[in-house]
Parts: sequence; structure tokens; C-alpha cells
Amino acid sequence: MDLKELRRERHSQAMGKLLPYVGYIIQSGVAMVFLFVIIAFSAWYTSLLRDVPDGIPIRWIMLALLLPAATHSGFRTYLQTPDTVFLLPQEHRMREYFVPAWIRGNLWKILRLAFILITLWPLYIRTEASPKLLFATALLLLAVKLLASFGLWRELSLLSRPASGSYALLRWAVCGLIIAAWLWQPAGRGLLFIVLLAAAYLVALHVPARHAVPWERLIATEKNQGARALMMLGWFVDVPGREQRVYARRYLSKWGGSMPWRRDTAYRYLLTKSFARGDIFGIVLRIALLGLLLSWWNRGTYVGTAIYLFFLFIVGVQLLSLRKLHSESFWLTIYPLPQGTKGQNTTAFVFRTHLILAVVLGLPFLTTLGERLLPAAGTVAAGVLLAFLFKGYMSRKEARLEDDDL
Amino acid sequence: MNNTPVLQITGLSGGYSLNKPVLHDVGLQVQPGEMVGLIGLNGAGKSTTMKHILGLMSPHKGDITVLGKTRAADPGAYHGALSFVPESPLLYEEMTVREHVEFTARSYGVERSDYESRSLQLAKLFRMEDKMDTLSSHLSKGMKQKVMIMCAFVARPALYVIDEPFLGLDPLGIRSLLDFMLELKNSGASILLSSHILSTIENYCDRFIVLHQGKVIAEGSLAEIAAASKRPGQSLEQLFYELVQGGE
Repeated sequence: MDLKELRRERHSQAMGKLLPYVGYIIQSGVAMVFLFVIIAFSAWYTSLLRDVPDGIPIRWIMLALLLPAATHSGFRTYLQTPDTVFLLPQEHRMREYFVPAWIRGNLWKILRLAFILITLWPLYIRTEASPKLLFATALLLLAVKLLASFGLWRELSLLSRPASGSYALLRWAVCGLIIAAWLWQPAGRGLLFIVLLAAAYLVALHVPARHAVPWERLIATEKNQGARALMMLGWFVDVPGREQRVYARRYLSKWGGSMPWRRDTAYRYLLTKSFARGDIFGIVLRIALLGLLLSWWNRGTYVGTAIYLFFLFIVGVQLLSLRKLHSESFWLTIYPLPQGTKGQNTTAFVFRTHLILAVVLGLPFLTTLGERLLPAAGTVAAGVLLAFLFKGYMSRKEARLEDDDL
Repeated sequence: MNNTPVLQITGLSGGYSLNKPVLHDVGLQVQPGEMVGLIGLNGAGKSTTMKHILGLMSPHKGDITVLGKTRAADPGAYHGALSFVPESPLLYEEMTVREHVEFTARSYGVERSDYESRSLQLAKLFRMEDKMDTLSSHLSKGMKQKVMIMCAFVARPALYVIDEPFLGLDPLGIRSLLDFMLELKNSGASILLSSHILSTIENYCDRFIVLHQGKVIAEGSLAEIAAASKRPGQSLEQLFYELVQGGE
């Protein structure tokens, strides 16, 4: 069996499933908004570089942006459940299958890291009193990327799940310390610390017992990666049958329990549970927190209004993906849910959540009502209007779907 | 007594392709308070028949009514009158056992107090009390099957369509399921049950329908099938073997 060829075929098949959507992405309004945001960011960043304000915490900014890009790793293995039967006899040769996956996964993430570094560099050299060399920094970040990627691979192989979680934390801590040491310390002293820390980390990675091939974890990880790719695609176009990663989140287990006990809200119950334990919740929460923070910093300016509306728009796009949840659910075909309630429940749920977030993200502006009554009130009103616009869009989509079903 | 069959299938032909029907003129009835065993070899058409009943497939010819209503005429009443236990568990990974049962109860419009008492009873019966707040993805296959059974039974519809329910269940689970099905049957519910474990269902079902190559080749009680085959006193397994061998 040619394992390299098998992986290549699976990669081509996966790409073949995504490529038909590219045209729709280009045509979609969301893509235009992203393009507009990129242009607006470029203009803002250029003006910032022309007139850099004093006291920018550039080392912290570098650390905050470079650490996730350097540490976050992932590979598409395209493994499937039947592989535990059919590829198991090839376990001793699976390195041939995984090496291309590892290389490809790193290649794209190294490019992403390089893009962030090159974007940040003009700001860094203008604000840092004793900047490091670009080439040396790039080499160091490349080494951190490869170290993190190797660390992730080892984490996936560990026999113990709790140990795997601890090693993930260790990976982030080690990478964070390495980047911080490079940014804050003189090059010589920093390098000595970095080499010692990396060596200790590599030794630590060899200590716990591990699987030769962690089949089940790799299959679960691949499933999640595939679902995430579809979710990103879903920001632009309708992708049917999206699965999502599930988190226990016991603190949210009561959410949905007190909703009215009626058949026409049964789907809302399922949707609430799915949202509470799914990846969309985490994404929305992170976007909302970042939006809240940036809105707070810019609450006295129109830049703040733009940031608020942009983040609210992104939140809306994320919430829209709830429409695609359970779109191919077997039980929704069998259970006697009143006709049309799936769409109605989803629209109401998304609207309510979006509206609440519009108010929460608008709180920084509401604190400035005394000084900027009209701009502040107008900002929040625009946010509420945006939530209504999303609702209208969803209602029209649902109505069109119902017409198609008739 | 109401003699309207809970399930009536007449002249059903259907399958995945119009040119190659799997089912050929299948007709069957399930009366109130009756447990009917649908038996056949792999590929005989049992699951296809069930998919037609559930509305997952559309008949090429023929009619299916549940409590006298077709799915096209009144989908709400049709689906509300039946519940289904699939051969392989189909669960939402985002929900716990309790939440699955609650979602089913809400969907079928079961009163909250009824849901609470029934879910307690079912959890106890299938020894799932300590798993009620566990996410479905953390359950064993047998436990997942128990969740499917609990969901079907919390709804208390007129008709249960049960496809190979014993797969993955432990012996105690099988016994609990059989006893509970008898209890439901005695309370007036109807059950259409498909299984390959003929020695087990032999003593529980009132009637059997033998499907072979998409056709009904025998039906009736064990004694009636034995008499029609001129093999009185034989077990269901022996009769089934003779019937399908004869049909080859």
C-alpha cells in the first residue's frame, strides 16, 4: 500500500469538496465586507506608522500577536474511522503517511506567522529602542513554530488525556517564555535561556508513555478540523450538514431547562443545548470580549463606533451559522415538530442573542452619554438596527426555504 | 372495541430506484395492543419497510396509514402517533441522556409531569440513573441504544417501530426491554419489531411477518405459520429456515 499516495488522494478529495464554493465566496457580501475591512485596516495602519504615538507597549503587542501564530499548530491527516481496521496493519509504516501532513500543516502556518511578523515589523522598529534583527527574529520564530508543532504531535500521542492537557499548557508557556525572552532580554542572554528551556521541554516531551499511532485522537482531531473548515466556509456560503466540536461546559448545563414546555419551542431547546456546548459559543464569546475591550478603549471616538459595528457584524455572521446546525438531523424528520418551527426558533434565538450582544458591546458607549449624547446613542442604535437587519435576512432565507419545500 | 389498525400497509412497492424496487406489493397490518415481529434475511426489505413507515422513503406504489391517517394528509398526527428505535443509535453529541429524553418529550408534547415520572421509571428500568447527566459521546454502544429506547418510550405513542433493538444490549437490558414492551402492549400500544434473534422474540410477539426478497411470504401467529407450512410444533427458527430455503 502506497501510504503517501493514499494521503495525497484524500487531500485532493477534500480540496475537491471545498473548491466548488470558491466562486460563491468571491461573490458573497461577507467577502466584500472582509475586503473592505482589510483596506480600512491598511489605511489606518499606514497612518499609524506615519505618526507613531509615544509609549506603545510594542513588546507586549508583539508577544500577543506572535505567540498564538507561533504556538497554534494543526495537521489535516484525513484519517477516518475505518482506518482503525484497514490501516492498522500498516501502523509501523504510518510515518510515511503523517510526514507530508505535518509538513503541509506547518508550511501554511509558517507563512501565516511570517505575514504577521512582516506586518508588525515596521511598527516594531519604529517604537523599540533596541530592536532585534529581522532575520534572527524570523529564524527564532521558525524554531518556535517547529518546536510547538512537534510538541502538539507528542501531546496527541500521549496515553493519558490529563497529561496531554497539561502538556498543551506547557507548550504555550514554553513558547511564550521563549518569545518574551527574545523580545525583552539582550540577544546573548536571551538565546542561552531559550536553548536551555527548549532542551528541557524536548526532554520533558519524551517522558510520558505514548501510543505508536494515536488512532482515535487523530480521527477525532481530523473530524474537528474538517468541521472547522466547513464552519469557516459557512461564513460565506450555505454549507449543509455541519458538525461541530462539543465541549462539556457543565456551568451552562441548566441553560434551556426553563424554557416554555411547548412543542413549538422543542427545537429551541435542542438549539440552546447545541449552542451552549458547541464551538460557535466559544468563538462568539471571544469575539465579543475582544470587541468589548476595543470598544472600551475607543469609546470616545468614531473609530470606536466602527469597531463596535464591525465586531457586531462578525458576531452576527457567526450566529448565522447556527442555521446550518442539525440541517440533516434524522430525528427532526421523525419527531412531530410543528412545521416551520425549526426556522422560526433559530431566527428568534439568533436575534435575541445578537440583540443582547449589541447592548452589551454598546455599554462602553452608554457610559459616555453625558459627554457625547448623540454619537453614543446613535452607535448603540446602529448596533440594534444591525441585529434587526440580520433578523430580516434570516426571515427572508427561511421564507424562501419554506417556499422551496412546498 | 376500535378495530382500525394502528398501522396499515397496502400494496407497498418501493426502494431506492424506480427501476429496481426492493419491496414488491407488501401488505401488513398491526392492530391495537399487538406485537408483530418483522423477520427476514439481510436485504429482505425489513429496514426499507420501516423507512417507508417513517416517511424517510416515498412509496412507488401503495399506501401507509397510521391510525387511519397518511403522512401526506396530516404529517403532525402521523408522526405524533409513532416512535422509532433505530438499529444503530443516533444521538446528538451536544446533549446528555436526560436532555435527549426531555427533547423527545417536548417534541411529542408529553406533559412535563408525565415526562418526569416516565424518565425516572425508564432510567431505573434500564439502570441509567447514574448516566442521566452524561454526554452521549461518553456512553458505550449499549448505553446509547438504551437512550434510543428511553426516548421512544417516553413519548408513549400508539405505535412503536423498533429495528433490531437487542444489538449491543446486555442480557439484563434485553430482559428489561422485553418486559417493558409486554407492559406497553398490555396497555394497548402496538409494536412492529424487527429482529434476527428469533428464539427471543418467538415467545413475545403475537404475530410474525416473514419478508423474503421484498415480498411477504408468510404471516400469522407461530401456530398459523406452522400449520400453513404443514410443520406443526416447530420453532420459529426452524420454520423461518424452511420458509426462506424454500423460497430460494
